[in-house]
Amino acid sequence: MTEPAIRISEVHKAYGSRRVLDGISLDLARGTKLGLIGPAASGKSVLCKLVCGLEQPDRGEIEVFGERIVGKREVDLGPLRRRIGMLFQNYALFDFLTVEQNVAFPLEQGAAGTLSAETIAERVAARLRAVGLAGSEAKLTAELSGGMKKRVGIARATVADAELVIYDEPSAGLDPVTTQKIYDLLSADQARTGATVLAISSDVAALAGFVDEIAFLYDHRVVYRGPAATIADAPNALVRQFVRGDLEGPLDQAGPGMASLDRSIK
Amino acid sequence: MISGIGAAALRIAQEVGGIVLLTGQVLRALVPRPGAGAWIDGRELWKNLYKMGNRSVPIVVLTAFFAGALMMLQAGPFVKKFGATGLAGWGAGYAVLREIGPILIALMFSGRVGANNTAELSTMTVTEQLDGLRALAIDPVRFLVVPRVIAMVAMLVALTVIGDLVALVGAAVVGKAMLEIDFSTMYYSIVDNLKPYDFLHGVYKSIAFGFAIAMSSCYFGVTVRGGAVGVGKAVNAAVVASAVSIMLLDFFLTYLSA
Repeated sequence: MTEPAIRISEVHKAYGSRRVLDGISLDLARGTKLGLIGPAASGKSVLCKLVCGLEQPDRGEIEVFGERIVGKREVDLGPLRRRIGMLFQNYALFDFLTVEQNVAFPLEQGAAGTLSAETIAERVAARLRAVGLAGSEAKLTAELSGGMKKRVGIARATVADAELVIYDEPSAGLDPVTTQKIYDLLSADQARTGATVLAISSDVAALAGFVDEIAFLYDHRVVYRGPAATIADAPNALVRQFVRGDLEGPLDQAGPGMASLDRSIK
Repeated sequence: MISGIGAAALRIAQEVGGIVLLTGQVLRALVPRPGAGAWIDGRELWKNLYKMGNRSVPIVVLTAFFAGALMMLQAGPFVKKFGATGLAGWGAGYAVLREIGPILIALMFSGRVGANNTAELSTMTVTEQLDGLRALAIDPVRFLVVPRVIAMVAMLVALTVIGDLVALVGAAVVGKAMLEIDFSTMYYSIVDNLKPYDFLHGVYKSIAFGFAIAMSSCYFGVTVRGGAVGVGKAVNAAVVASAVSIMLLDFFLTYLSA
C-alpha cells in the first residue's frame, strides 16, 4: 500500500483560549482530491497552513509525503515546501512584484538555476492565458480586482506543477462562469500532473464537481467524510443542512453573532 | 502601579529579546549557505539602496545645511566677541562631524526610511505575504530583511558623509554672509584643527545608528499583529525604539571614545 500524501493524526490547535482544532485526524491518498467544508472559523484555513508547516500544532502529528513536519525547523521544511503549491484565502500576492513576476516567482526561486529565462517566460505566459489574464502581465497587484488577484494566486500556486496543491477558496470573488472555468482548469491540471489536492470552498456545488471526497469540519473536528458526488444527500444531518443551506436543522451556529442574525431574520 | 511597571518592563524585555533574536537570524543569513539559493536577492538590495538612499538625499541636504548654519549662527557672536574667527570652522566642524551630523541625520533617516520600512513590512505581514514566501520555501529574513539591513546601514553612512559636508558648507555660508568670516579662514580652521578621526568617529556612529534603525524597523514590521491598527502601532513603536536606540548608542559610543 502506498504511503498517503497527507496524514494528520489527533491534531490540536488553539490561539490563546480560542480552540480551533480539537483532535483532527485525516488521511489523503496520493493523487486524490479532498474538499474541506464547514462553517466560518471552523479551522479549515488553519488546517491547510498546518499541512504546509506555516503553523505548528499544539499536539498531534502531521506527515506530508511520509515526512514528519511537526517541530521541524523552517530551513528543514524547504525541500518539502517546494513540492507544495498553495493558494491563500487572501491571495498573499507580493505587492512589490507585477502579475508576471508573481507567477514567475516560484519558478525563479524554487528551481533556481534549473530553468532558463525563456522556459520560465513561456510557462508563465501559458499559465496567465489559462486563467484569463493574458495582457495583465505588467500590472501591479494593487491594480487588480479581487477576482483577478485570485486568478493570479491560482496561476502562482499551479505554475510549478507541485505534487500537492492546496487551494483555500479558489472560487471566492469569481463569477459563476469564471468559477466553472477555473475548476475545469484545476481538474485538467490535476489530471495532467496527478497531483494530490486539498481544497477549501464555500461554493460547495462547484467544489463537489471538482473533488473526489468532501470532509466536513464542525465543532473543531472532522464530523463527516464521504463522496463529493452525493454530499447533498449525506447521511449526516449536519452536512445535509449545511450543503442545502437550510435555516432549520441541527446545525448549531448560535454564537453571539449568529443568534442576533437569526433574530433579525425572524 | 507596580504591576503596571512590571508589565511595561516585561514588554520592553520581550521587544529587546525579539530584536536580538532577529539580529541573530540576520547575521546567520549573511553567511552564504550551500543549497539555500541566492545569498542575497540582488533585485531587492538595489531597490532598497535606491529607495532608502537616493530619495533621502534632498531632505538630508536641507536638514544638514541648516544644522551647520545654525551651529555658526549660535557660536558666531561669541567667536566675534573674542576675536576667535580662526576657531569658528573648528568649532562648527567638530560639533557637526562628531555629534550633530550623525545624530540629526540618523533621526531624519529613522523618521523617513525606518517608519516607511516598518509600514511596508508590517503591511506585507498582515496580508500574509511573508507566509506566501515561506510557502515557497523562501526565508523572509534572508529575502526581505537582510537586503533592507544592508541598504539602511550603507545608505545612512553615505548620507551622513554627504550631510557632514553640506553642514560645513552651511556653516561657511552663514559665517561669510552674517559674520563676515572668509571662506579661506573657515577652510583652514577646519583643515588645520580637525583630525581624520573626528570624521571617522561620526562614520562609526552612523554604522551603529543605521543597524539599530534597521533592526528596530524590521522587527516591528515582521512581528505586527492585527490589521491597519496593528500597522500604525508597529510604525509608532519602531520610530520610538529607533530614537531611543540612537540616543543610547550615541551616549555609549561617545563615552567609550572619550
